[in-house]
Amino acid sequence: MAVCVAIIGKDNSPKFLSSLNPDEELCFQYKILSSLDIVEEKIHGVNRATDNRELFLGLLYALETHKIYGYVTNTKMKFIIVVDSSNIALRDNEIRSMFRKIHSEYADIICNPFYIPGEPITFKSFANNIKNIMTGTV
Amino acid sequence: MAHSAIQNSFDLPQELCVKPSTLVGVSGLDTLNNAIHKAIWEAFTGNRRVERAPVSFKLISNAHEFPVIKPKRNSYDWYIPKGILKKNWMNKHLYEIPAVIVIFYELDWNDLQWNEKMIECASRVQSMRAALEGRNTRITVVLIQNIIPIPTGEDILASERAVALCASCELHSQSLFILPIGDHLNGYAIRLENAFFEFAQSYYHNEAKAVRSHKDQLNKNTHQYLYVRHQFKMAFHYELKQDIMTAHKHYSHAYNNLLEIRIVDTNALEIRMVAGYINYKLCKMLFALNLPRDAISHFKNHIERFKHRIGFHELTFEHYAWLSKQFQFFGDVFDETVKLGLPAVQTQHPGMYYQQAAQYAITRKIVCYELCAKVTTYPQPDPLENFAQMEYYGQRPWRAGKISQDIPDPQLESNGIQALQYLEKQVNHSNLIITLYGLAISQFKTYRCPRTRKHLVLQMADEYYASQDYSKSLTLLTHMLWDFRQEKWWSLMSHIMNKALKCSFLTANIQDYMLLSLELLGKYTNISLDNKKRIYENFNRVLKGEIPFGDPDLPHDMLQKAIIIWQPVFHSSQLKVTVDMTNITSCIETKARFLSRFYEVDQKVTVEIYIRNTSPFMITFSRVSVCINSPVFTSEYAVNSSTISLDFPSNEVKKFEIQFYPDPNDILKDIQIGNINVEIGHPGCKLELKFTSSCDTKGTYPELLHFKYSKDVLNFDNIRPLSTASIVPRSSKLEVSFQHKQPALLGEWYEVYVQIDNKEYNSIDNLEVLLASIEEETPSTTQVSVNSNGIVRNLPLSLDVKKKMGAGETASTYFHLRVHKVSVKNVQIKITYFLNNDNVPVISTKTESLLISVVQPFTVSTTYTSKLMMDINKFYVDEEFGIIPAISILSPWPIIIEKTSFEFSPSVRQVEKNIVSPLHKMKLNEGEVGNELFLACCDRATDQNVTLGQYTIEWRRADAQSITTSTITIIGCPVLKVPLKLSTVLPAHGTVRTPTVIEYMVENKSNHLIQLDVNVDASDGFMFAGFKQPQAKGVMKLPDCVRPSNISVK
Repeated sequence: MAVCVAIIGKDNSPKFLSSLNPDEELCFQYKILSSLDIVEEKIHGVNRATDNRELFLGLLYALETHKIYGYVTNTKMKFIIVVDSSNIALRDNEIRSMFRKIHSEYADIICNPFYIPGEPITFKSFANNIKNIMTGTV
Repeated sequence: MAHSAIQNSFDLPQELCVKPSTLVGVSGLDTLNNAIHKAIWEAFTGNRRVERAPVSFKLISNAHEFPVIKPKRNSYDWYIPKGILKKNWMNKHLYEIPAVIVIFYELDWNDLQWNEKMIECASRVQSMRAALEGRNTRITVVLIQNIIPIPTGEDILASERAVALCASCELHSQSLFILPIGDHLNGYAIRLENAFFEFAQSYYHNEAKAVRSHKDQLNKNTHQYLYVRHQFKMAFHYELKQDIMTAHKHYSHAYNNLLEIRIVDTNALEIRMVAGYINYKLCKMLFALNLPRDAISHFKNHIERFKHRIGFHELTFEHYAWLSKQFQFFGDVFDETVKLGLPAVQTQHPGMYYQQAAQYAITRKIVCYELCAKVTTYPQPDPLENFAQMEYYGQRPWRAGKISQDIPDPQLESNGIQALQYLEKQVNHSNLIITLYGLAISQFKTYRCPRTRKHLVLQMADEYYASQDYSKSLTLLTHMLWDFRQEKWWSLMSHIMNKALKCSFLTANIQDYMLLSLELLGKYTNISLDNKKRIYENFNRVLKGEIPFGDPDLPHDMLQKAIIIWQPVFHSSQLKVTVDMTNITSCIETKARFLSRFYEVDQKVTVEIYIRNTSPFMITFSRVSVCINSPVFTSEYAVNSSTISLDFPSNEVKKFEIQFYPDPNDILKDIQIGNINVEIGHPGCKLELKFTSSCDTKGTYPELLHFKYSKDVLNFDNIRPLSTASIVPRSSKLEVSFQHKQPALLGEWYEVYVQIDNKEYNSIDNLEVLLASIEEETPSTTQVSVNSNGIVRNLPLSLDVKKKMGAGETASTYFHLRVHKVSVKNVQIKITYFLNNDNVPVISTKTESLLISVVQPFTVSTTYTSKLMMDINKFYVDEEFGIIPAISILSPWPIIIEKTSFEFSPSVRQVEKNIVSPLHKMKLNEGEVGNELFLACCDRATDQNVTLGQYTIEWRRADAQSITTSTITIIGCPVLKVPLKLSTVLPAHGTVRTPTVIEYMVENKSNHLIQLDVNVDASDGFMFAGFKQPQAKGVMKLPDCVRPSNISVK
C-alpha cells in the first residue's frame, strides 16, 4: 500500500497528487520535489542508464519514514510513489506493477478529449482509480 | 566558561580530533640565547610538510617534571574502575610523555676539556633518566659539533671517544648521534628525525604490549570498563605508532566490548559518550583506509543502536544533542575525506548527514522547549561545579566516579537535572540549526540537488523565523519563490508565500507585503476565501495609509512590535511603492499587443491592452499606461479612463486601446511594447505595478488553449501577445510601367523605358528613381548605363527624371542594360519622394521589379572545304582550304548584319585580299542563315585543332541604331604535313580528239631525297597521245625540287 502518488509533468510541475492522509500532503510535496533531483540526474545525468525501454527508475530516496520510488514515461512524465518505510510487504515487483497501472490510467486520461495536455488532472474518476491502485484494491 | 563547556559537552574533545603524532622531547637547546640552537630547533620544527615523518617536538627544560608514574598494580582483584576513559590520558600521551628524549650537547671529538665535558654530558643523561624514572622513554644524545666529521672508522680518536662517552652515559651506541653545524642542517635534521621516529615506533609498540599484558588479570564481572579502556589505549598507542590497521582493530574491539556493558541510568551518558568517541575514531580510520562503505555502514549501525536509548526523560534533549553531533561529526569526517579525493555521489554525500544533524538539532530544540520551560532558576549549591575537574569522560559532575547503580541522593540528582535544564534553556538552538543547514545546503549544491537545496533553504528560513530574524527569513523565502513559480508548485508556493507575508508584516516591508498580497490573491494559490478576504482588506488598508492587521495566529507581543515598526512607514506624505511584476503570477494579469506586425508611417499604431483581475474581489486602478520603446527613446501612453472604467470586478477582463502616430524617424525600425504600468491607490499612497509585456509562452501550448472553454467575452488566454512591430514607409500610389522589347539580346545595349504616373492626390517633390539592384552573380555579367553608347556606370544608378510632379502628371526616364550571359535578370527600381501632405511632407517609397530574359541573337557554325568544295576535316600544310561561317539567327527580332570580318591568327595565312562579304547590310529574320567563305592556308603542321582566327560580326536590330560587335573565335581542324605535293595544271577546256597537255607538278616538301615511280592510267574518256610513261620514270626527287612532267592525252 502506497501512501502517496504523484504525477509530475515534463517541466517538473505537478499534475496530480493523491495521498492517503491529506494532512501530510504538504510534507509529501516537499519530499517528492526533492526526489525530482534524483530523477533528473537519472534521466539527464552522466551515468544514466543506457536501456531506454526501462521506465522504472527504482528507489530514489530511502528516508527514515518513507521510501520514494520513481518511474518516467517516454514523454518524460514522472510518476512518483511514496511508501511507508515500515511497509516491507511491497517489493520492487509490486511497485513496478503499481507504476504500470498508473501509466495505463494516465494513458487513458490523455485520450480523454476533455483533458488538455499539460494542465493539472482534476477528474474525479481518475483520482478514484489512482486511490484504488494505491490501496491495492485493484 | 564552565557552563558553556557543559552546554557543548557533546563536542568531541580536542585531543580526540587531532591526528596523533609521535612526541619527541628535546632537551639541552637554549633557543632563546643561542643562535645555533635556535637554527637547530627551527630545522626540526619549522616547515613541516606532509612527507616528513609525523613527529612533533617539545622543548624540555632541565628541571622539567614528567607526570608521575602510577605504582604498578600486581593484581586487579580488588580494583574496581570508576569510569571508562580518563580525561587526561590522551593528553598525557599526546603532549606530555615523549616517546624519545633527545639531549643535545655541544662537544667536539678533539675538545680540550673532553673529560670534563664528557662527565657533564653523562650527568645530564643521568638526571634525565632519573626524571623519567620508570618510563620506557628512549634517551638519545646528539653531539653538536663544529668540525665536519671524517667518515666513520677512519677517525680513531672519534671512535674511541664515542665508545667512552656511551659507556659513561650508559647509553647504547646506536643512541648517540652527531650533528655537524654546517651547510646541510635541514638534511641532517630529517635524517635524525627519521631515526627518532623509528625509536618512537618501537616505544609505542612496547607500550601497547604492556597494556595488553594486563588482559589476563581482568575478569568480565568487575572489569568490563577496563576491557574497553585497555583496548582503547592499545589502539591509541598504535595510532601514535602510525599503524592504522592495528589501531582500527583495537578500536573495534573496544567498541564491541563497550556494547557488552549493561546500560543503566547511571552509566547511560558515559557509554553513549565513549561510544561516540570510539565510533568517531573508527569512522576516521575506515575513511583513511579507503573503506568509505564500511565507515558509512558502521556509522549507521552505531546510530541504530543508540537511537532509542534516550536515557533520563528529563534530559531527552541531551540525547538529541548527542545524535545531532554524531551526524555532524560524521559529515565533517566525510567532507574531509572528500576533500582528500574520495568521490561522493548524489545519493551519498556529507550534506545528508548535516541535514540529519539539523533535524536532530530541531528535535533537541523542541524537546528543550517542552522540558525546560518551567526551569527559571539555577539551583544552589551548584551541582555542576566539579565539571572541570572530572576524571572520566561522560560522567555527571554530582556523582563523578560513583559506580554504584542506585541513585545516591534524589535531591542532588534533581538539582543536577535542573541545572542542566537551565543551561540547555540558554543555548541558542537556532544558531546551531542554521549553521548545520548552511553546511548541508552547500553540500547539496555541490552534488546537484537544486530542489532539495531549496527545501533546506526553506527550512533554514523557518528557523530564522523561529529565532525572530524575520528579515533574513523573508529574504530567503522570496528568493526561493522564483524557482517554485518556474515549476508551478502552486500549493507549495501558497504555503511559502503565507509565511513570507507574515515576515513582511513583521518587518513592515511594504514592498514585499503588497507584492505578496497581490500574488496570494491570484487564482493559483490554494488558500481559503476567508484568508484571501483578510489579505484583500489589509491590502486596501495599506493603500489608505493604515496599518494592516496581522495574522490572527501571531502572538500578541509580536503584533505589538510589528505595529511599532509599521508606524513610521506612513509618516511620509508621499508614499509611492513601485513593484516589478516580472515573473510574478499575481492576481492582475496583463497582455498587450500591436494589432499588426507592420505599420506604415502615416497610419495610426494601435496597441491593445488586456487586463484581467483573477482575485475574488474588486480592484480599482487609478491609472493604466503603456510604454512604447523605440530604438531611441521610450514614450508612455496612458489609457483614457473616461471611456472605460478602471474598476475590475472579480474575473473581469477589460480591453483598452491606445492609438498614436509613429515617428517618421523610426522608419524601418522596430518599436516594442515595454512595460505596462498599473497604478493603484491615490496620490498620497500609490502602488505602481510594472508588468513586462514579454510574457513567456514556454510550457503553454497555444494550439491547445483553444480547447479551454472560457466564459469571458474577451478570451484572455487565447490572446497572443505581439510585442514588436515595425514601422514601414507608406505604400506609394505611383504607377510605374516599363516599355522594352523582350527578350534582350546577348551583348547589346538593351533599352528600358520607365514611365511613372502620379496617381497620388497631391503633388510630389524630390522624386528620385534609383536603379537599385540586379539579381547578380559574381563576377558581374551585367553593365548598366543611362544611354546606349554611354559610359558604364555602377549600381545603384540614379536615373534622370524630373524632380516635381503634380497630381496626375507623368514622368519618364530610361536606362540601358548590357548582359554578357544568357539568363533571366531581375531589375529593381526604387522610387523615393516626398508627398506634399497637408502638414509635413511624408517620405514615401516604391519598389518595382522587372524581369528581363536574355537570349543569344544568333549562333555561328563553321564548315571547311577543300578547293574542290569537298567537306574536309583536316588541313594540309600549304594547301588552301575554305572556311564557311554560317550565321543562323535566333533572335525573334530581325537583325541587320552591318559588317563581318575575319582576322586570321599568325599561323594561318589569308589567301585573298580585299574581299567583300556577301552578308553586308543584309537583313536576316529568325531562322535564316547567312554564309560566306574565306580562303586560307596553314604553314605549319599541328596535331591539335588549329585556331584560325577571330570572326567579327557587327550587327544591330533592324529597328535600332546602335551597332553591337560580336566576336567569335573559329577553331579549325588538325593540320597535316604531306611529303609530296601533287598539283595539276589543266587547260580550262579540251577539244575532242585533240591532244591536250596536262601538266602534273610534283613537289618534294620533305627534307629527304624521294624516289618516285609514276604511273599514269587514263580514264575511259581519254587516251594517251604521246608518252605514256612520263619522263620522270624512276627519277629521284631532291628536296624542294619541283619537276613538271607533261603528258598528252586525247
